[in-house]
Amino acid sequence: MSLIALRNVTKIYTSGSQHIAALSELSLFIKAGDFAVLAGPSGSGKTTILNMVGALDRPTEGAIAVDGVNYDDLSSRQLADFRLHRIGFIFQSYNLIPVLTAAENAEFTLLLQGIAPAERRARIDELFERLDIAELKNRRPGELSGGQQQRVAIARAIAPKPAVILADEPTANLDSHTAAELLNLMRELNEKEGVTFLFSSHDPQVIAHAKRVVRLRDGQLENDVRQPL
Amino acid sequence: MLFSLAYRNLWRNGRRSLLTLSAMIVSLALLILALSIFSGMLRDILASATEQYHGHLVISEGDYQENHDLYTTLAETDLPLIERLADSDQVTGLSPRLRGYGLISHTDNSYPAELLGVHPSQEAGVTSLQRQLVAGSALNDGDDRGAIIGETLARRLGVKPGAELVFVTQAADGSIGNDLLIVRGIFKTGDSAHDNGLLLVPLGWLQRTLALPGQVHEVALAIADPMSAPETAARLRPLLPEGVSIVDWGTLLPQMREAIASFDVSRMIFSVILYFATGLGVLNTLFMSVMERTREFGILMAIGLRPGRIRLLVLLESILLGLLGASLGVAGGLVLCALMRDNGLDLSAWITPISYAGGTLPPRLHTVLELRNLLDPTLMLLLTTLIAGVFPARRAARLQPVAAIRMD
Repeated sequence: MSLIALRNVTKIYTSGSQHIAALSELSLFIKAGDFAVLAGPSGSGKTTILNMVGALDRPTEGAIAVDGVNYDDLSSRQLADFRLHRIGFIFQSYNLIPVLTAAENAEFTLLLQGIAPAERRARIDELFERLDIAELKNRRPGELSGGQQQRVAIARAIAPKPAVILADEPTANLDSHTAAELLNLMRELNEKEGVTFLFSSHDPQVIAHAKRVVRLRDGQLENDVRQPL
Repeated sequence: MLFSLAYRNLWRNGRRSLLTLSAMIVSLALLILALSIFSGMLRDILASATEQYHGHLVISEGDYQENHDLYTTLAETDLPLIERLADSDQVTGLSPRLRGYGLISHTDNSYPAELLGVHPSQEAGVTSLQRQLVAGSALNDGDDRGAIIGETLARRLGVKPGAELVFVTQAADGSIGNDLLIVRGIFKTGDSAHDNGLLLVPLGWLQRTLALPGQVHEVALAIADPMSAPETAARLRPLLPEGVSIVDWGTLLPQMREAIASFDVSRMIFSVILYFATGLGVLNTLFMSVMERTREFGILMAIGLRPGRIRLLVLLESILLGLLGASLGVAGGLVLCALMRDNGLDLSAWITPISYAGGTLPPRLHTVLELRNLLDPTLMLLLTTLIAGVFPARRAARLQPVAAIRMD
């Protein structure tokens, strides 16, 4: 059974009298443990898919289910809970909360999940060790480099143990060396922990790291290939 | 962490928050000062009105306060009970009184006058007439025919301390009551009704003259908090003997009650105007802060913060701003009130005492700190900041995550 299932999904954005189809009757299935990238040029529908899989947006037509949950009829509060427990986000521009320290940023979702303070701290300590940012715990985002911020963002996404991590152009603002480091790190998490990743990117480096490459063009599936690593 | 996040968010734009905070602090401190000056004025004008004659509460038989009938006296047996009832921390003075009306004469001059028969030491605990002497001395309890007289009446009669007066009236037994009095002192209150026609005389002397031995028309009470007179009256009323009534100064001086009510309305209008302006300042700060963080709210929603908690976060920011402003504003207000409590601001070089609604306002501004002068403006400030926070909070909670995240 697929962890993520998009069935005949169409998404039309309306701007005034204009209707723009971002996705047209697209079907896509991602299995648990996958490390897949949505590749394609700007406007091909990558971010639209991530937004809908992440329960941030709804399809105009078609159905989406993640981890067996079809969230068509969920309220905004239920959607927030769904995201909290099942989805982890990594954004292109990190989007950490500037007034919180690195550890507090990563801990925030655990706090929302109601996890006890001792367990929260233990989980964050372990993650920060693994991500090699243990010494940065008490720094605020403004005191961190782009790569360090993205590591904190990864910690924040992984900490609540979501069903899938959605990463929208996660290396776009990083130099190639840092980007490669982070991709290796995410790949390691995928292989050792079985964390499912779904990226959007047109960066060849990201595409080269993916187990599966789903190419999109004009809101439709162009091809879908598994690649040996 | 939501609380900590709200607090830290406040200081993201420290200068803006500090400016808003200072507006809140200054407005609250000045409002506390202004309300306390109002209270000082009310205390002065009420004291002048009640302490010159009526006292704060008056107990009498039946409808005596309406018709001042000579024969409507309190039964002698009621007096010990009234004294016992009034023996509480709240009651600070009690004075049995007999009232008589007649002609007061000196040589060839005669004028109508009201004589208030009192025990001088007890009356001094209720009214201040004996402390407002411009000549002579106060009455002693042992003095059996002394009198202190209003300044205008004394001038018309042409008397000074030591002069003899003759009082003529109709006594309760139908006879003509008349007797000699000796002027001991002359008082001046600034209230023409008292200065023109009032004398304080020994209670025993007046009881003999009016042929009402052992009887009084009323018992006047002074209480610690004059504003609570209606509540004290309501508490004592059911305990009084049948047929005996108690009225507060508001009934005896309706114009003063109206004046105080109008003061209260003025206070409220003053506060609302001030806080409307303050509220707009807070609203501006919070709205700007929410607008600037639209993208961040989108992120918070994306990582699982419920819309209700987003709303709570912004409301917490406004509450924290309000609590900070309130604490510092109250502290500032207390300091200003303390500075103006004892000496106040003496305006006698520019203005004279003002008579108003049966009382006299001295030319001095000073503060009287009442709990409500702190509580009312503080609660209003907190309410204002909370209301000012509602709109930005609602806006933040209604954001669509995708649209919010796209915002730069």
